[in-house]
This record gives sequence, structure tokens and C-alpha cells, in this order.
Amino acid sequence: MRCAVIVLAAIATGCAVTGQPFQRQSAPPGEAEIYIYRPYNYAGSLLRPPVVCGDSVARLGPGGYQVFKVQPGTVTCHTETETADEVEFETRPGGVYYLKEDIGWGFSIGHPHLYPMDSDKAVAEIQTCCVLEPGSIVEHQG
Amino acid sequence: MLEFSLVMAFRRLIGIVPGIALSAALAACSVQTYANTFSVPIGTTAAPPSGQQAAVTSQAESAPVPLPFKGRLLDGNPRTLPPAVAASLSDSSDIVFNYREELTHDHYTVPLALSAFDPLTYVGYPLGNYSVTAFASLGISKGDKVLGDYTAKVHLTRDYTLYYQPTYIELEHAAKAAVRQKIDEQLYRDSGRLAQAAAEGGTH
Repeated sequence: MRCAVIVLAAIATGCAVTGQPFQRQSAPPGEAEIYIYRPYNYAGSLLRPPVVCGDSVARLGPGGYQVFKVQPGTVTCHTETETADEVEFETRPGGVYYLKEDIGWGFSIGHPHLYPMDSDKAVAEIQTCCVLEPGSIVEHQG
Repeated sequence: MLEFSLVMAFRRLIGIVPGIALSAALAACSVQTYANTFSVPIGTTAAPPSGQQAAVTSQAESAPVPLPFKGRLLDGNPRTLPPAVAASLSDSSDIVFNYREELTHDHYTVPLALSAFDPLTYVGYPLGNYSVTAFASLGISKGDKVLGDYTAKVHLTRDYTLYYQPTYIELEHAAKAAVRQKIDEQLYRDSGRLAQAAAEGGTH
């Protein structure tokens, strides 16, 4: 019984991301930032669907966040498993934008959702839910 | 014996009534949710058009008709303007357009623990929704005189289910198109007064 509880606890927490707590970074001159975060949720916690924003792609685990540095203009962020979700930002130099990722129920695999967030809600939520996930963002190859 | 039966029937009725009331309340809530979500198709206005308003709406929906004067854009992206304003741009005009558009987003997700055990989930009952509110404002001025000031707001909501998921981008595009159409409709309704004010030099 004790062993089962330990295994269950390990499974429940094992998928959560570890890393540095949220800290606002300063955007390089002439660029904009898109923060993407994924609050912890046991459902779909094994899934890390790629999120493509501009030229970069991130795979976030539950409880992780990342920062895309993008060129000003129209930037599309996209993710897909069984279904797809897509959002668009009109970014300005020095602008900071927030995106929340969530995995919901799917027919055969969890459905990813991308929610554009207002900065007040997003900052409060990232500070309590998420840590910087090292190595989860790479330049998109094509 | 008859008295006993009546008392039993009355007691049973008292027991059933709260159940019926609860069912009715729940059913009413769910029907209302659906009605709110689906009653206004995306890209249309909520109020049914009639008479002159119908003409204005069809004018705004069809090919853009330029305004009776030209203006230059002070603030705003020329690619994201209401069609009537976009068709009336001129860099040399002394009339100024100032257009702003703001989008806010919201979403609701049914708690996963609830939806997982709800049989309705598997027949396509909504698991949550996306919503977008678009707000637009257009100011038209000549010198220090304001010729016109227009605002519009559109709120769109789309449900997602186990089998259907809209994307935020299509909802955003629909909300932007709807709010621009509302600004255009106001401009067409006011075009006579605007033309006169522009010719006079501006009175509001």
C-alpha cells in the first residue's frame, strides 16, 4: 500500500518541469517577446506538442514557461496534435505578449489549446505556476 | 383508507416537485448556454436590420464605398482599417483619420475531472469555449475640429468539443471584420453630415 502511494506520487509529480522561477527578461532592441507558459495539469502531462512562434519552436512540459524573441510585425503561433490551434499577434518593438498552453481532452490524444492572455492575469499566473524550462526552445528548421 | 392514500400521494408529490424543479433549472441553463453561444453567427450584428439600417448594412457588407472626402491616417495600420476608411485614404488631405483597434481574449474550460465522467462529453457536449472581444474607435478631424467620433464593440464566442475545435485566429479575424463593419455602417449612416462638415471646415 505504502509502495503504491509512493509510485502514485512519483507519477503525479514526475512530469512537472523543474527550473528557474519566472523572471522578466529584457527584449533585445527592436524585437518583441512572447512568453508562453503551461500550468501544471495531470491530464496530458506526458504530451509536449511543439509550439511554433515565428522561427522558433518550443516544447513545454507542465509547469514550464519559455520566451520567444520575435521580429515586430504579424507573428503566428501554432500547435497541433489531433487538432490544431493558432493565434496571431501584431507585435511592436519592445512589446511583451503572453500565451497560455493547455492540454484538454481529445478523442485519441490530448488537444492542445493556445490562449492569448492579458498581461495582468498572465504575469500573476506564471509567477505561481511555472518555471523556466531549460533547453525547450530551438530555432525552427523550415 | 382513502384519506391515507391521499396523504401518501401528497407526500410523494412533495418529494417529486423539487426534483422536477431542479431538472427544469438545469435544462434551462444548458439550453440558455447554447442559445447564447449559437444565436448570433460570427460576422453578423445581433439586431435584425430593418429599412434604412438594412440598406446601410448591405452597403457595408458589399464592396467598400469611399467616403465623400479623403483623409490621411494619423494612427493605425493601413492594412487593418474599416474598408470605407481604407478606400478614402490620401496623404495630401487635411482631414485626419485616427483608428485604433483592441482585442481582448477569454476562455472557459469545464474542469477535466467533470468532463471526463460526463457522458455528454462523448456525444459532443462543449468542453469549453473561446471568446474574443474587439473594440474599435475612429476619430475624424480637420485641424482642431472633430468631424466625427465612432466606437464599436463586438464579442464573439465559440465552443469547442471533443470532436471540433475552432482556432483563436479565425475567431480574431471574424471579430476584427465584424467591428470594422460596424464602424463602416456608422460612417455610411453619417456620411451626409460628415460631407457637409468636411466642406464647411468642421463642426460637430
